[in-house]
Amino acid sequence: MVRLVRIFLRLQLVQLRSALEYRADFWIAAVGAILQQLVSIVFLLTFFGHVSSLGGWSLWQILVLQGLVMAADGIREMFADGVWKLRADVNDGSFDRVLVRPIPPALQQFTALASIHGIGNTSLGLVVLILGLARSGVDWTWWSVPVLVLTILCGTVLTASISFLTNMIAFWEPSAQSAFPTLVALMRDFAKFPLDVYGAGIRIVITVILPYGLISYYPSRLVLGVGDAPGWWVTTPLIAAGASALAASIVWRRGLNHYQGVGN
Amino acid sequence: MTATTSDTPVRQGRTAPGSKYVSLARTTLQQAIAYRITTFFNVGLTFIWVIILYYLWRAAYSERASIAGLSWDQMRTYVVIAYGINALVGWRTGTAMMAAIRTGDVVFEMVRPLNYCTTQLARALGFTVVEGGISMIFTLVIGLAFLHIQAPASLASGLLFVLALIIGFLTKVLVVFLVSLLTFWTLNGMGLMWSQQAIMQILSGTIVPLALMPGWLQFVAKVLPLRGIVSTPLEFYLGNAGGWDAVGLIGLQAVWLTALWVVANLAWKRAFRVVEIQGG
Repeated sequence: MVRLVRIFLRLQLVQLRSALEYRADFWIAAVGAILQQLVSIVFLLTFFGHVSSLGGWSLWQILVLQGLVMAADGIREMFADGVWKLRADVNDGSFDRVLVRPIPPALQQFTALASIHGIGNTSLGLVVLILGLARSGVDWTWWSVPVLVLTILCGTVLTASISFLTNMIAFWEPSAQSAFPTLVALMRDFAKFPLDVYGAGIRIVITVILPYGLISYYPSRLVLGVGDAPGWWVTTPLIAAGASALAASIVWRRGLNHYQGVGN
Repeated sequence: MTATTSDTPVRQGRTAPGSKYVSLARTTLQQAIAYRITTFFNVGLTFIWVIILYYLWRAAYSERASIAGLSWDQMRTYVVIAYGINALVGWRTGTAMMAAIRTGDVVFEMVRPLNYCTTQLARALGFTVVEGGISMIFTLVIGLAFLHIQAPASLASGLLFVLALIIGFLTKVLVVFLVSLLTFWTLNGMGLMWSQQAIMQILSGTIVPLALMPGWLQFVAKVLPLRGIVSTPLEFYLGNAGGWDAVGLIGLQAVWLTALWVVANLAWKRAFRVVEIQGG
């Protein structure tokens, strides 16, 4: 286990070094990624210029939701963006190389790409989260901070597992062009707002099928004390992370068995 | 024996300049059709925000009848059509322009006796037929079946909407083109596309109508050309701008379009000087 972690960090470092060769590129990507996140913040600020509360949530409380999703996804971007290369790798056959190395293939895939611009999203997410928390009038207890940290970490596992899963489509549907994984990944934006505003259908999807709500809305209600949040909701991030990681590892195994390489 | 097959006239010499660009548009149209599933998802993912915005505004309007002069019916219509318009000249057009520069294919463009800007416009038009078709399907299905959008305020506003939409489309192609020229200096097209999309979403009035923005942002958005892409057509559609307002808005669009055209042509010439051919 320790050895795997060491290899993981080692491989990440190699990618990081190669990425740092293009310093200007890093800044452009970081700025681009941050600007994308700013769109929803600009919307929120405008929205709350005309409205004082959204389904019982204040601007600052919603910023907590935004921050949690952004930070989790930013960390995912830094450490697991390699899964987005899976489709291209399977498509051009370079995935064969991954299979013959004596390191777990999943580990190699995770480290196939270093998106250090994720550091931009992570910092912006943390800033937004802290700003939101500071102005939300949180009733701080000893478990508040641990729950928030747990939520972000589980959020990273969840978003990584979901992008891993959707990119595995490459094993069955070899067209590397599909925008389907992006579509699923962007559905996380639903969880940047309180789920109460949506209709029942979306609420169920974001809670059960793509449980982005479990890493933002549910734990936030507990920490912020919005409505009556049952105590067991503290486990929702763990459920989301555990279930999605399990699903990803099962499908990954099947995908590897199904993989035949390219050619005739 | 040797049958002279001269009964089928062979077209000789140059084709008219117009038809060159038409055939360029047709080529990209065919490419776009080949990738229709991808285009479908690409358009579809922009509609995630239509759903989010619909629910957020619904919650806001449950307590009041109008926000900044817009009724709930108008806001709903605005959101759907804004995203429908914004899906035109999407991801693919921009990345195709950047890819040409990055792979060096751009040198072929250089040697062709065609205006590069017009070439890009023609290509974008080809993509847009497919993107526009799919986006129209999304807009109509979501808009009519679920969100019950309004028809244009009147026949005149409908016509002005179409005119503004066309100028807006040309404006967007030129802006995307100018951004893509930056790939001459950087390798990271992705980051440029992200920035471009984000700024466009805010300043064109896609994410939120200009009238609702905080003062300073509204001022910036009103002066820049990006409002002509989404906000101006929609103001006509909703019938919020008539008479001299309409003349002013179309005039501003036209002035910016001309300016962008001149700048794009100059920038293209300037950019080409920095080209470095890789290889040994």
